[in-house]
Amino acid sequence: MALESTVPLMTTAKRPARAKWRRILRSKTALIGLFLVSFWVVVAALAPILPLQSPTEPDVMAMANPFPSAAHWLGVDILGRDILARLIFGARTVLLVAPLSVAVAMAVGIAMGMVAGYYGGWVDTLISRFSDIILAFPVLVLYVVLIANIGPSIINIVIATTIASAPGIGRITRGLVLGLKQQEYVAAAKLRAENTLYIMLVELLPNCRGMLIVDACLRIGYTIITIGILGFLGLGLPPPNPDWGGMVKESTTVLNVWPFMSVEPSIAIVSLVLGFNLLADGLREAWKP
Amino acid sequence: MNMVAGQVQKSATHGASCATQEPLLEIRDLRIEFRGKDETVVAVPNLSLSVMRGESYGLVGESGCGKSTTAMAILGYLGRTGTVASGSIRFDGQELVGASPRELRQVRGRHIAMVYQDPMSALNPVRPIGAQLAEVPRLHLDVGKAEALEMARAMLHDVRLPDAGDMLKRYPHQLSGGQQQRVVIAMALLARPSLLLLDEPTTGLDVTVEAAVLDLITELRHRYQTSLLFISHNLGLIAESCDRLGIMYSGELVEEGATAEVFRRPRHPYTQGLIACIPDVGSDKHSRSLAAIPGHIPLPQERPQGCLFGPRCDDFIAGLCDQPDLQRDEAGPGHLVKCVRWREISRHAEKPNTQVHQSDRTQEAIQLHEVTKLYGAKGGRSLKANEAVTFNAKEAEIVALVGESGCGKSTLARIVTGLDRATSGEIRMADKNIAELQADERPKQLLQSVQMIFQNPDSTLNPSHSAAFSIRRSLIKFGLRKGKAAVDQRVRELLEMVRLSPHLAERKPDQLSGGQKQRIAIARAFAADPSLIVADEPVSALDVSVQAAVVTLLLDIQQVKKTTMLFISHDLALVRHVADRVVVMYLGKVMEQGTVEEVFSGSSHPYTQALLSSIRGTDPDRPKPPHIQLSGEMPSPVDVPTGCRFATRCHRKLGGICDQEAPPLRRLSATHEILCHIESADLQVDAVLVAAPEKNSGEPAND
Repeated sequence: MALESTVPLMTTAKRPARAKWRRILRSKTALIGLFLVSFWVVVAALAPILPLQSPTEPDVMAMANPFPSAAHWLGVDILGRDILARLIFGARTVLLVAPLSVAVAMAVGIAMGMVAGYYGGWVDTLISRFSDIILAFPVLVLYVVLIANIGPSIINIVIATTIASAPGIGRITRGLVLGLKQQEYVAAAKLRAENTLYIMLVELLPNCRGMLIVDACLRIGYTIITIGILGFLGLGLPPPNPDWGGMVKESTTVLNVWPFMSVEPSIAIVSLVLGFNLLADGLREAWKP
Repeated sequence: MNMVAGQVQKSATHGASCATQEPLLEIRDLRIEFRGKDETVVAVPNLSLSVMRGESYGLVGESGCGKSTTAMAILGYLGRTGTVASGSIRFDGQELVGASPRELRQVRGRHIAMVYQDPMSALNPVRPIGAQLAEVPRLHLDVGKAEALEMARAMLHDVRLPDAGDMLKRYPHQLSGGQQQRVVIAMALLARPSLLLLDEPTTGLDVTVEAAVLDLITELRHRYQTSLLFISHNLGLIAESCDRLGIMYSGELVEEGATAEVFRRPRHPYTQGLIACIPDVGSDKHSRSLAAIPGHIPLPQERPQGCLFGPRCDDFIAGLCDQPDLQRDEAGPGHLVKCVRWREISRHAEKPNTQVHQSDRTQEAIQLHEVTKLYGAKGGRSLKANEAVTFNAKEAEIVALVGESGCGKSTLARIVTGLDRATSGEIRMADKNIAELQADERPKQLLQSVQMIFQNPDSTLNPSHSAAFSIRRSLIKFGLRKGKAAVDQRVRELLEMVRLSPHLAERKPDQLSGGQKQRIAIARAFAADPSLIVADEPVSALDVSVQAAVVTLLLDIQQVKKTTMLFISHDLALVRHVADRVVVMYLGKVMEQGTVEEVFSGSSHPYTQALLSSIRGTDPDRPKPPHIQLSGEMPSPVDVPTGCRFATRCHRKLGGICDQEAPPLRRLSATHEILCHIESADLQVDAVLVAAPEKNSGEPAND
């Protein structure tokens, strides 16, 4: 509330949660991000009731001229399937798998970081060294090794992302907790006989919220790229499920004739990842203390 | 130019003759705004003041009153959002408002220099201080590198930094806070500026270091004939070091005049309130209670019409005080008051406090015996945070733990509450030894009986939860109330007890002021119905007017509840006001303990004497004892001096015996103990010398 620091901006005396939302909505960055993400979410959710053609059934007639037309707005792929439908149905998988993977990874990572940061000592050393080992692995190699061994499926992609990203989330959480556990309100909680789990979940976790939500947003973006890469490497969801990365790969052979077949799914990936990144930036702005 | 200024200054140093002169700095009708995206905050609505050549002008006010903003405006550093909306700042005949960046650069550093509150952030951590100091004359005085370094060395000598040769090569982190601030002062003075802006220059420093830095500023000011604009919230500092002062409230000067005159006859109710709410050494809680100013400084957006102090003023009259365009009135020569009723209102008589009873119980509430805390440090050595600390506190008694930062008083607080574990020793409460029990090993009943009030209002409440959240949890965890309705009822009672409106209960901490948060923390501590409360600097982060209110409240509740309290503080005047008994600590060891009267009587440990001499009063008519200048800084607790710990800095050191032998414990009375080689009788004799005003002449010994 003091207004006398060297760079005083607005007073922060009254800023309830609603004002925070208003700030998010006022930021152009966040708005564009929110628009891109919600576009895909809405389209994916409505996919079954949209007047789309089948994403799996080929239109043999269209194969002669696969370019975008009135019948197929974005054209058809090399097997004659409607690209628009495949993109929209592909969004369903991406928007299911990416947030799910990140959610699981967040749960594991936050638990690791919380325990390491709060207890410190040998517990911290153990968890941190273990994380370092995983983080030192080239992520892509890690994915390929994992998926190639346990086979491609949604669950396995979730497991792979969790192993790859939980250590990073753990580090962020650990850093936050190291600072927060020194706060006097944590001491006050100990003096009223709160147990450790309560202190972690109720006193510490809510104060990590801002950073972790921003990080989750960014991670969803990265995970979408990862899922794309896995698809491109043929480690994505098994065919004939529409998979953005798989769509790029299938049409690489005809890239110099029909480039749109690869470019369109690439644009889809870019727009969704960009959406999550911009949203993360906007949230970061709004949460800035 | 500076030479001329200096000579002119000599002929008219203080007082009335200044009036005929052209002021060095003249601020007229200054209005400072901060323009954000959706609102404009007027930090300073209208300010006029002037600083004469060679004068020391004090700008006093509480946080948020706009005093630092004013200093920044003088330097033209208002950031991207701040602007001087109207008015003028003239320095030495030159207009600074609207001056080009080039013109400003020539003035800054060269003619106007600034000393900031936090020296660590004022110095560049990656460059040695010699290079940083030499930059100033090279930039402003156009001298060569070698000459600049020579000037830096000479200036370091002037700010009494020992061993100046090697000092130039050190980095800021290798210096203590007091040394860093000396470097910053040296840097500010290198270009021989005619005006020095000091923004709370000693706030982060320990009292004994503060005394040394202030004496240094006063001495250098006279030597270099520099004018000072001294910004502080501490009235005592201003009283001691300024010729004239202005009292600032919510962006306005409410009173201005010669320092002695204002303190002798404060006219504005805010000034009167400020003076009344500082504890002074001459009184304790039995002789007077601190008068608190109700309410808080209005935010710039919510300034009332007319007198800004109106809503907090006892003498407010609607229709008179809320008229716009209040003018400043002359209450005496050069004494301006912005109050329409100053003639009618008299300074409220200090009300003696009759309610306070001395603790009459004799039962010991807590006994500490030889409590020692060691932390492992590098190379197998250990850091002694506490060594063989022994003292007791009786039921319903307030025992103050006093000492500078690093003396181990906070560590002791953590051990007593169970946030840390003692390495050895005993703490007995209700016939149990709790010294080695941490909070999670303590039975609930024990946890409940020892509660703590923390220092920092910004971290005492969880920002994610409502203000009443932790009070409620405390009631539930200790099973003091059952059922939601009963708990809520109790929360309301507790909030009323700390004089907060119950509707604040659901506010988030960032919507509360520092004083309100600290009241919530007090309510939380008392919610558990403890028998012992450890208060770790509970008011040191608060503004003076709020401080008084919170201390008074704490004392009232403690009186009613008969709670024993360990009151940790570095503020001796406050301790004098609050405590029944005092324990003085230095480097983890108790140097002296006794009743308040005994410790403050003057026949005390040399360290206590030094602390006492650093207390600043505002009464211009009371003779001020000279500051005792301690040499050097507190040694590291890893390298504790053998013999007496205080020997390296003691002004009364006897000689070799102090360095080699641990001092004996001298009992002056049943309650008064001193750890010193000096004979009790001699301690007494010297006390007279301390009380008598004896001028500290020449260079005080400082390494």
